[in-house]
Amino acid sequence: MNTLATGLSFAATPLVAGLFDAPVGVAHYLVVGAILFTSGVVCMALKRNALGVLMGIELVLNGANVNFVAFSSPYLRGEGAASLGLDGQLIALFVILLAAAEAAVALAITLNFYNNHATVDIDRADDLKG
Amino acid sequence: MMSSGVILLPGLVAAVATAVPLAVVNWHSVLFLLFAAVACACAVAVVLADNVVRMAFYLVLSLASTAGLFFLAGAEFVGAMQLMIYVGGTLVLLVFGVMLTAQAPFVAIKTSAGDRVLAGMVGAALLAVLLQAAFRVESWRRPAMAAVAAPAATPIGMALLGVRVDEPAAGVPAAAVRSGYLLPFEIVSVHLLVVLVGAAYLARAKRRRTPRSIDVAASSVGPVVTAREAARSSASALVSGGGR
Amino acid sequence: MDPASQLPTLLGLAWLAPLVSFVAILFFGPRMGHHGRNAAWVATAAIVTSLLLSLAAFGIWLAAHPVTAVAHGSHAAEVDGHAADTHAAEAARVDHGDHDGHASPSDHHDGHHAATVPAAYAGDWYTLYEGGSLRLSIGWYIDALTVLMFVVVTFIATCIHIYASGYMHDELHDVTDHEVHLADGSHLHRPGRFPRFFQALSLFCFSMLGIVIAGNLAMVFIFWELVGICSWFLIGFYFERKSASTAANKAFIVNRVGDFGMLIGLMALWGALGTLHFADSTAAGVDGHAAVQPGLFSLVRPAESGHALQVPDGMVKFANASEVGRITTEYAGRPADGAAEVAARVRDWRAQGYGRWLLFIAGVGIFCGCVGKSAQFPLFVWLPDAMEGPTPVSALVHSATMVAAGVYLVGRFYPVLTPDVLLVIAVIGGITLFIAATIALVANDIKRVLAYSTVSQLGYMMLALGVGGWSAGLFHLVTHAFFKSLLFLCSGSVIHACHTNDMRKMGGLARVMPWTAGTMLVGCLAIIGAGIPFVIGLSGYYSKDAILAQALSYSQANPSWSILYYAVAGGAFLTAFYMFRLWFMTFAGTPRDHHVADHAHESPNVMVAPLVALAVLAIVAGWTLPGGFGLANLLEQARPIGTEATTSDTFLFGTLTVPAEHLSHEGAIHVTATLTAFTTAAAGVLLAAAMYLWRIISPATVAAVFRPLYSFLANRWYFDELYNAIFVRPVFAVASLASGTDRGVIDRFIEGVAWSARQLAGFDAWIDRTLVDGLVNATASATWHAGLELKKLQTGRLRQYVMFIVVGTVALFVLASMLFRAALAG
Repeated sequence: MNTLATGLSFAATPLVAGLFDAPVGVAHYLVVGAILFTSGVVCMALKRNALGVLMGIELVLNGANVNFVAFSSPYLRGEGAASLGLDGQLIALFVILLAAAEAAVALAITLNFYNNHATVDIDRADDLKG
Repeated sequence: MMSSGVILLPGLVAAVATAVPLAVVNWHSVLFLLFAAVACACAVAVVLADNVVRMAFYLVLSLASTAGLFFLAGAEFVGAMQLMIYVGGTLVLLVFGVMLTAQAPFVAIKTSAGDRVLAGMVGAALLAVLLQAAFRVESWRRPAMAAVAAPAATPIGMALLGVRVDEPAAGVPAAAVRSGYLLPFEIVSVHLLVVLVGAAYLARAKRRRTPRSIDVAASSVGPVVTAREAARSSASALVSGGGR
Repeated sequence: MDPASQLPTLLGLAWLAPLVSFVAILFFGPRMGHHGRNAAWVATAAIVTSLLLSLAAFGIWLAAHPVTAVAHGSHAAEVDGHAADTHAAEAARVDHGDHDGHASPSDHHDGHHAATVPAAYAGDWYTLYEGGSLRLSIGWYIDALTVLMFVVVTFIATCIHIYASGYMHDELHDVTDHEVHLADGSHLHRPGRFPRFFQALSLFCFSMLGIVIAGNLAMVFIFWELVGICSWFLIGFYFERKSASTAANKAFIVNRVGDFGMLIGLMALWGALGTLHFADSTAAGVDGHAAVQPGLFSLVRPAESGHALQVPDGMVKFANASEVGRITTEYAGRPADGAAEVAARVRDWRAQGYGRWLLFIAGVGIFCGCVGKSAQFPLFVWLPDAMEGPTPVSALVHSATMVAAGVYLVGRFYPVLTPDVLLVIAVIGGITLFIAATIALVANDIKRVLAYSTVSQLGYMMLALGVGGWSAGLFHLVTHAFFKSLLFLCSGSVIHACHTNDMRKMGGLARVMPWTAGTMLVGCLAIIGAGIPFVIGLSGYYSKDAILAQALSYSQANPSWSILYYAVAGGAFLTAFYMFRLWFMTFAGTPRDHHVADHAHESPNVMVAPLVALAVLAIVAGWTLPGGFGLANLLEQARPIGTEATTSDTFLFGTLTVPAEHLSHEGAIHVTATLTAFTTAAAGVLLAAAMYLWRIISPATVAAVFRPLYSFLANRWYFDELYNAIFVRPVFAVASLASGTDRGVIDRFIEGVAWSARQLAGFDAWIDRTLVDGLVNATASATWHAGLELKKLQTGRLRQYVMFIVVGTVALFVLASMLFRAALAG
């Protein structure tokens, strides 16, 4: 195990090293945002705990925010490329606000559900099934 | 495990140090890498964790890193807000919720293997799509590295009041009309008020009554108990060292 | 005081009075008194009114036409010597019809003829239809015969109405008809039908008087049929009895057969001559003044030829239609000239014999109707069965009046009948006479004997008319009416007392029913023509004498047809025999059935009075008063112009000579005839007395000796069986064939059509159910199942929804990137 980790680290070093000196562009932020978004989605799809789902939602919104900020940043663009500018940041701000509101409501719903059914397992919440 | 980590980290530092000379290092990139790694790793950890409390913790870390990313991108105000509202408010709220509902049976509810495989596949597909889209536009890869003054908080505040004082972003013609954000600001304010009232109403204290559906088989809880008693018992379970 | 307008009015009212009674009883019959008892009085009142009006008309007639002894010689001279137009004026009086027959006559008075008033009046009350040359109207032809017939018919009808009001008293309460057996074996119990009897009787009187007064053959035909219907009603009065209803149908159907011939005759007359009126009539002239339309009499016996019978112009032209057509087309542009040419040629054509067949057919055709109505051979089979009706019906309808209508029509139509037609009439009459008399010899039902006697006497009348005895035949008609109705009423009285018709159960009734016996004896004497020769006799004596004399005269003029005389003489013998057989079996000797004899009683006065009245008439009707007033002389007033002379013709049956009637009244013929009549009648009476009164000869022995003949006669010459085999069975066969075709072919076809329609409907229903409904149901079911399946998507599980969202998004993204690659490239 130790040797494997050592070996991997040695192999990955050139790749990683390439990143250390090259500037970061929008694409890299987008990657991060994609990973956050995807993991948020998977979290929503996977977690049976209602709060787990909520966390997934937070991740999704966060991933979107990263994208917005990346697009609005003047530092990450190429020469002459378009940018969202201040709009991007404002949008991200609003997303944060609304995420907070939504989290509050979602939590209230979850608590209600918990009070009624004594469980937060959303798989039990299938009263609306057809 | 711990010993292997202790050995691995210096080894990694040594390797990096030998490979890359310190003078040429782009600290922007390094910090970006750091924050990005933390954010992504914690996001993945949220998914992989079974314990909801640990999930909450990893989420906090992830969002905090994201705030760092915001700082690096020049959106200081947004980053600050992220830390204050998101991490400090929303996630705390989430943690409260976790605490309120975390009983022993609910702390770690497992999904079936099939679901996980399916979710994994779908996630992988989505990720693939997004990633290939990310690297498609050429101008997104290599920034110009121009020394541009980052927008401060003032333009944001003025925009929220309806006046745009920031310079037009690149690619936007100078004569274009840029709208202020006064209306959205007001709407969001009202919205927050409504949410406050609604959430307060929804989560109000109700008359104690027997819960309608109790899944005895799944949760292996005993006879019918009230929610409060269940919460009390779970809180005590949590305190007493909880989880696995 | 103008007879021309008074007579039509009086006789018209007399004719209509029974119709009023009919309508009144029709609507109010059951309400007339208790159970309709007063219906009899209403009907009787009506017929008495008719009688009084007829007597009044008779009086007026006699006032205008005093009956004097007709001098035979001068009469003949007058016929030859008179100018044409005076006779023409007297022959037919033209009166224009409005409803009360009032018109202004134009009298042609002539000095050298004693009778300046016309011998007949004719006119129309109402025109039913006028189209082309045919004019159908309700009108009158009144001469002495008409007035006489009115009096006779109404008088006899009155007697019978009074008689029937007593005889039919059974119908005043519920009746149990012992001759009707119901399905469960009991007798029929039904309410009484008293008013209906008098209703039918009134209608009959109206119809009979309609025939008598009729001025044209169309009207005669209408009332001919009406009389037939009334006879049907009356015969079938007890219609619940199968025998009665069958007899009614038989009478009507057999009459219809005769009427068929009558229609042919009518068509011949109308087609060729264009008119059916007896006398001339005045039509509203198209050219301003009145135009005279000649009637049948003046067409067939025109004044120009001295009223001798000749084929009328119309028939000649009709028979030679092709030639007439040729001439008309030849003179196409000049119709007047064409008509003149035709008129000129008509005489030649007549001489060649054109149109004689048409005249013969016309005469025989009309006679066919009389054969049916007057029960001549071969259509006499209905009359004996008609005795199923109540006895008053038999008395009135089937002895005195309806059956006499045929004879009356022959008498009325006499001027148009050629000697050949007359021979046919005589031969038919002779055959009838003989057959009926022989059947009456062995009949045991008292009414049957009288029925066959009626048939036989009608044969006598027809024979008389056929041999040229116009007044003899009609004289016998009148006297026969009196004594035959008397005989029927007496028989009704007997039946009423004995409750049986069978003479074998009667006998010795003279002691208990003296009045009936006495009057019946009078009737029997009258019918056989009893009297003191050359001195005095009952009514039948004179009429029978006249017939015998004329028959003798005819057979002397036509020796090849002398069988007719022997038939008459033999008939007289047979008549005397069977009539006195009837009287002796019923009234004389010892009672054969004590049960019947014990119950027998004399009839009530209401039934005896008419018997006496008729008996008186049966005695005196033939007498001629010193001044000359008498039936014979009265009839002479009505003799059609031209028939006084001897006529001779050669056509179908060789040369026939019809001697003038007055020739038979004088000389050897008269003496021979009288003696023959007396001897034959006496012989008949003696033989009957020997067999049934003094019992010298046993009827049973005679019957046994002549067994085959006896059974032949007892079975009525098997005429019914013969007709059944020839006519009835084939008709039934055709009917069953037709009904079988209808059932088997037509019904099967229709059922087949219905079946196929049902099959088609079933197929359609299947299509509708399976395909159409199935389609609809399948659509609904598919929708339902699709919904059910789609419902499974809604699991209610949040995580799955999230998955769907993500998968959908990814798929959309991939699709979009693939499809819009070009757009995205930029």
